[in-house]
Amino acid sequence: MNKSVIYIFRRFLFYCLAGFMAITLNFLIPRLMPGDPASIMFAQFKGKLKPEALDALKETFGFADGPLLMQYFDYLKHLFRGDFGVSISYFPQPVVEVISSGLYWTLFLAGTSLIISFILGSIVGIFLAWNRDQKLDSFLIPTLSFLGAFPYFFIAMLLLYYFGFILDWFPLRHAYSQYVTPGYNLDFIISVLSHSILPAFTLIFVSLGGWMLSMRNNMISILGTEYINYAKAIGYDKKILMFRFAARNALLPSITGFGMALGFILSGALLTEIIFSYPGQGYLLLQAVRAQDFPLLQGIFLTITFSVLLSNLIVDIILLLLDPRIRK
Amino acid sequence: MKLINTALLLFLFFHGCSNNEYQVEKGVMTISKEQTQSWVRNFNPLAPGANARWPSVAGIYEPLFITNSMTSKVVPWLGESYKWKKENRVLIIKTRDNVRWSDGKPYSAYDVEFTFNLKKKFPALDGTGNWKYLKSVTAIDSSHVEFVFSRVYVPGFEVLAGQPIVPKHIWSNVDDPVKYTDPNPIGTGPFTEIVKFTNQVWELGKNPDYWQKGKPKIDKLRFPAFLSNEQATLALIKGEVDWSGNFIPAIDRIFVSKDPDHNKYWFPKSGGSIFLYLNTTQPPFDNIDFRKAISMAIDRELITKVAMYDYTSPAHQTAISGSFLNYRLSSEKINESWVGFFPNQSIQKIKSLGYKKNSSGYWADSTGKEIQVSIGIVSGWADWIRAGQIISKNLEDIGIRARVKTQDFGAWFNDLQTGEFSGAIAWAESGANPFPMYEGLMASKNIKPIGEHAGTNWHRFGLSEVDSLVSIFEVTSDDSMKNKLIYRMQELFIKSAPAIPLFADPTWGVYSTKRFKNFPSADNPYAQISPNKTPENLFILTEVEPK
Repeated sequence: MNKSVIYIFRRFLFYCLAGFMAITLNFLIPRLMPGDPASIMFAQFKGKLKPEALDALKETFGFADGPLLMQYFDYLKHLFRGDFGVSISYFPQPVVEVISSGLYWTLFLAGTSLIISFILGSIVGIFLAWNRDQKLDSFLIPTLSFLGAFPYFFIAMLLLYYFGFILDWFPLRHAYSQYVTPGYNLDFIISVLSHSILPAFTLIFVSLGGWMLSMRNNMISILGTEYINYAKAIGYDKKILMFRFAARNALLPSITGFGMALGFILSGALLTEIIFSYPGQGYLLLQAVRAQDFPLLQGIFLTITFSVLLSNLIVDIILLLLDPRIRK
Repeated sequence: MKLINTALLLFLFFHGCSNNEYQVEKGVMTISKEQTQSWVRNFNPLAPGANARWPSVAGIYEPLFITNSMTSKVVPWLGESYKWKKENRVLIIKTRDNVRWSDGKPYSAYDVEFTFNLKKKFPALDGTGNWKYLKSVTAIDSSHVEFVFSRVYVPGFEVLAGQPIVPKHIWSNVDDPVKYTDPNPIGTGPFTEIVKFTNQVWELGKNPDYWQKGKPKIDKLRFPAFLSNEQATLALIKGEVDWSGNFIPAIDRIFVSKDPDHNKYWFPKSGGSIFLYLNTTQPPFDNIDFRKAISMAIDRELITKVAMYDYTSPAHQTAISGSFLNYRLSSEKINESWVGFFPNQSIQKIKSLGYKKNSSGYWADSTGKEIQVSIGIVSGWADWIRAGQIISKNLEDIGIRARVKTQDFGAWFNDLQTGEFSGAIAWAESGANPFPMYEGLMASKNIKPIGEHAGTNWHRFGLSEVDSLVSIFEVTSDDSMKNKLIYRMQELFIKSAPAIPLFADPTWGVYSTKRFKNFPSADNPYAQISPNKTPENLFILTEVEPK
């Protein structure tokens, strides 16, 4: 057990270092951009602002010139207070507030879709590997690879048009109905679920194939190993063989991929969010880029970076539990 | 089988809950104006960059006077009357009596005094630049405000009149009005009560004690968040939106035909034009005749038909359209016609300027340098991009190498302002009359060197005569004199072709008469229909009534 603690501690230190690097890069990159970021930023006021007002505003935004090192320490100070500054495209809303408006919805939609898709894909993969070279296997593999390569916004639009607009089965937009009050009541929960079906389906639909294929291939190589043959020869039950002996090992590479995907959830599912007018991070990111809203951009990048680091740490812990070899 | 049954059951369950999505009470008007992913609670009407919710400037808060661009009349609002004094150096505005803020406190001239002095104290709030020509703003008594100008600037009235007024008793306690989001606004407008505010929809209830007795007739405004034009269009077709300023392609087929009795639109022309700007600091675009030659190669009929769905008309020789028709020069005084489609004359003109075609069939100057133009347009502005494609094809046809260059708004606008472009499609200055448009296009005092941000005159063209016209215009309050100046501007515009007008600038107004009546229309043009036209939208908010 001692070894595990040291292992986790070392990983943790590594992630802290990586996090610090990310924070620093996040500070440097906008300042390395060619030209004067302040002038480009204010282009969005469409010339409606007279130059005097512009100068006063620049001060408000903290574009005061100063030595780079001073600016950096200032930036760190604010960061540790959880202050990411003021968003420019949503002025005068603080970046933290803007991000938090979409954060939960992204976590909910992209997170649940990812988990469902991962679990479903892995289970199907296990069965396909077990029953490989049968009809279902040879049908599902090409079909799902084809669908995985399909542009998912296209599917999203078709679903929206057919099931939402023509058939009127599902709502056309938003994360919940405009007529319910958000909170822990049944109406709201049902509304959230019914609003998430179409967008979640598109997300699951296109990612399912990937999880399934990777799981199937891992399984097949594990099933060919000697210890499985040995267990088979001894006469272990099929279920134990499949899940306890084979799947547990085959899952390890998939878990790493899952961790990466988990971390990138916060970058949002851009096109799905746009098509279904679903509140979330993806569109926010696009908007920040378009409006050259650097404070917002920095805020979003930091949340993404930290979620990637955090989920990697979690994956390390999961792997530790699944794979006794690391513990030794 | 069990799984399928459960799935079916679940589906029917959700199905039952979701399909009656649209359910609003009578008197609630749904509006699509701002496109956003989630609403941010900001009602600060002084906020720079128009980041406050749309009704803040004209709806919750109100201006002193509103110029109705359909009738060109100045309509008194929170101001009752105005008077110029001391050779137009002092403006006295009489404020309206018996108006109350939505918290019950009376509105007075002191609120007007406070609002303008707040803009002086915080220059970031003075986006309209009032204090460039103002010296002081003082309330003489509770119903008169005196504006003293540092220099005579009569057009300043229009800007001052449009200023939303905020209550002194609330805003004097606000530490930093620049960063203030004014979450619970206290205004004088027809709609002041925030009934509901979530990130997807918010509702604004009427002011029960509005100073225009019996108005507004609408009980509540609803604003669902639409992320894209497509989402808003779907909602319009479904009858979920009553009033919108969205651009809808092929609107007769897509929208009107779904319910011809109720689904209506009106796209009046705003008065100006959309222009093709050529950078006049770059040869050969510094040559008047060359610019005219380019203009004569453009097929404006095709542009309005294909790119603009026939929603507008080809530009007039004066670039004046729609509501400004009264200002237009009479046709016998217009002695040139370089906005027509005359490709052969265009080629003749270029030839007579001494250009020769090179081996690949393009015009080149005496040094052999090929003439090229790239037309900068904001990516995603599909109608303008289509127009740009037609123009570049037209130019290629007469032998000028041309291409469309799409850019993000920020980059596009930066290039435009700094003059680092060869061609671009863009709007022109607007105002209560066509004068600001011509001033923006031709006044040399607005020219900035290449690389510096210019508010207007992006193409860097200047005539000294225009400067003197501008200085007369700024000090006169005499309407016949103003008209004379506008006529002279048109003559200069026709003579010098500073920029190339393409088509009349349309405004978008889409509405449904299913639940509401008395929207302005071509038959009843009491105001501009587009919600994008603030503060004129106040006319509609106070006139429209539920059926």
